[in-house]
Amino acid sequence: MRIEISGLTKTYRGKGPALDRLDLVVPTGMFGLLGANGAGKTTLMRILAGLLRPTAGEVRIGGYDVTARAGRLAVQRVLGYLPQDLGLYPDLTAREFLDYVALLKGIDDRPARRRRVGELLDVVALTDDADRRLRGFSGGMRRRVGIAQALLADPRLLIVDEPTAGLDPEERIRFRTLLAKLAGQRTVLLSTHIVDDIAQTCRELAVLSHGRLVFRGTVEGLTKQADGRVWTVVTSGPAPASGTIVSALPHDTGMRYRVVGPQQPAPDARPTDPNLEDGYLALAQQS
Amino acid sequence: MMESDAEVLGRVARRMIAAARYEMVMMLRKRSMWIVNGVIVLLLVLTSLSSFREALRDPDAQQSMARAAFLLNVLLPIGYGCLLADRLIRDTRLGVAPLLDATPTPAMGRLAGKYLGVCVAAAAPLAVVHFGFAILYSVTAGRPVALAWAAAGFAVVIAPAVLFVGAFALAVPLVMPAPLFRVLFVGYWFWGNLIGPTAMPTTAQSLLEPAGGYPIQELLGWHGDGAFTPAGPVPGASLNFLRPEPSPATAWLSIALLLALAAVVLAGAHAVRTRTTR
Repeated sequence: MRIEISGLTKTYRGKGPALDRLDLVVPTGMFGLLGANGAGKTTLMRILAGLLRPTAGEVRIGGYDVTARAGRLAVQRVLGYLPQDLGLYPDLTAREFLDYVALLKGIDDRPARRRRVGELLDVVALTDDADRRLRGFSGGMRRRVGIAQALLADPRLLIVDEPTAGLDPEERIRFRTLLAKLAGQRTVLLSTHIVDDIAQTCRELAVLSHGRLVFRGTVEGLTKQADGRVWTVVTSGPAPASGTIVSALPHDTGMRYRVVGPQQPAPDARPTDPNLEDGYLALAQQS
Repeated sequence: MMESDAEVLGRVARRMIAAARYEMVMMLRKRSMWIVNGVIVLLLVLTSLSSFREALRDPDAQQSMARAAFLLNVLLPIGYGCLLADRLIRDTRLGVAPLLDATPTPAMGRLAGKYLGVCVAAAAPLAVVHFGFAILYSVTAGRPVALAWAAAGFAVVIAPAVLFVGAFALAVPLVMPAPLFRVLFVGYWFWGNLIGPTAMPTTAQSLLEPAGGYPIQELLGWHGDGAFTPAGPVPGASLNFLRPEPSPATAWLSIALLLALAAVVLAGAHAVRTRTTR
């Protein structure tokens, strides 16, 4: 499902614009959305999920106008949504919660619903805990229930907002792999501020800053933003004063710093190949 | 392929029933619901023991069941009114609201389902006590017809009160903190049902009394004890325009007004929620 966004603006009462005349096209497949906290990612996700009305602009998903009631309902029928601040009913078991959401998503046939819930509990490795109340679930287990509910109606559009927050490294990798698998014929919009999640799953991405689109392209394209701007400095003295220090590791002769900046941060600094995180930082420095 | 109106209605009804079912399950699992109702029932039995004994000894099954329904409806709504106050706002507090709002089920359908579900759950302890008393009466008095009168009393007195109180308890905490609502609600309940109309302007004994004076008197035939009558004009009281001469028609009108007010309040809750979330 292709997402077409033009001139999208969202202003909350008494605040500046959370989204400011945003133009963006998201094709079918896996697509990443990067940005710092407060960049407007969650607002954009909530508008796409039909939870917020934009102040101005147009949003079309698979040809449906999301700002109109009929279009919103049509999109919600094929939508899987995992919000950033995921909440669950503590009094229900994982199986009951998924069954409830499945009913609200229109899976009326009881055997089909039970089968689907069972499959997804298995996918997120919660089969053994399926009949336990959600009150006792850890953060990671709750997140997995959230992921399962997003996949219930076999969605053609999957919007996941900070999906790996609270997951341990193994769960994170498992979930990223699952998302990548799902992306075949679907549109999967992955919003995160964890650059590595995008690097491992997406070919294309957009970067938001202060509600505006500051980059739209491929992972390689964003990485290239840092060409000639990444340096390695090994020193026993003070840390480099210019540029942004990405990492600082103890070294035999002092500390080894990885620095992103337009100027060579020290006379003995060596240029280094950039990665996606460097590209993102370089972009942030330029915008 | 376009859906017919009947198919759309059927689809919305199925979602509503799903919401009602799970909301009911969650409410019934709430331990505080049983504790609060248990405490109120205990208080009620202790303070109105003679009235219950009288009802149990009354040879007229209809009168006995009407009196029992009235006694229950005087105090138990305070408990469930307070308990239901978090049911709608907690969706936002827990963070479940965005997830449910992103489903294709219309918010109004979910709200209606939630309302019906929590009302059924709130009515469950009342049903246990009410029908428990009816069974006790049937056995001791040898009058099984009491069960039919108990069902009638539940339908025309207890259920309308649950639906009326349930709507306010879901809706009002959207515009004020739930603890404040609970305090105001308890005050309202005593003011609107229990204070004598000659003492101050009140909705007690009027068409708008959720304790159900008109239906108890006109549909169940209980005309009160001594000087107290459940419904009708009170000499010297203000707001007597809300207390027409009791008749079966005014009893039904009282029920209809309570349900209409509940519907208006629920529609308001939907509007407030839509405005604040979108």
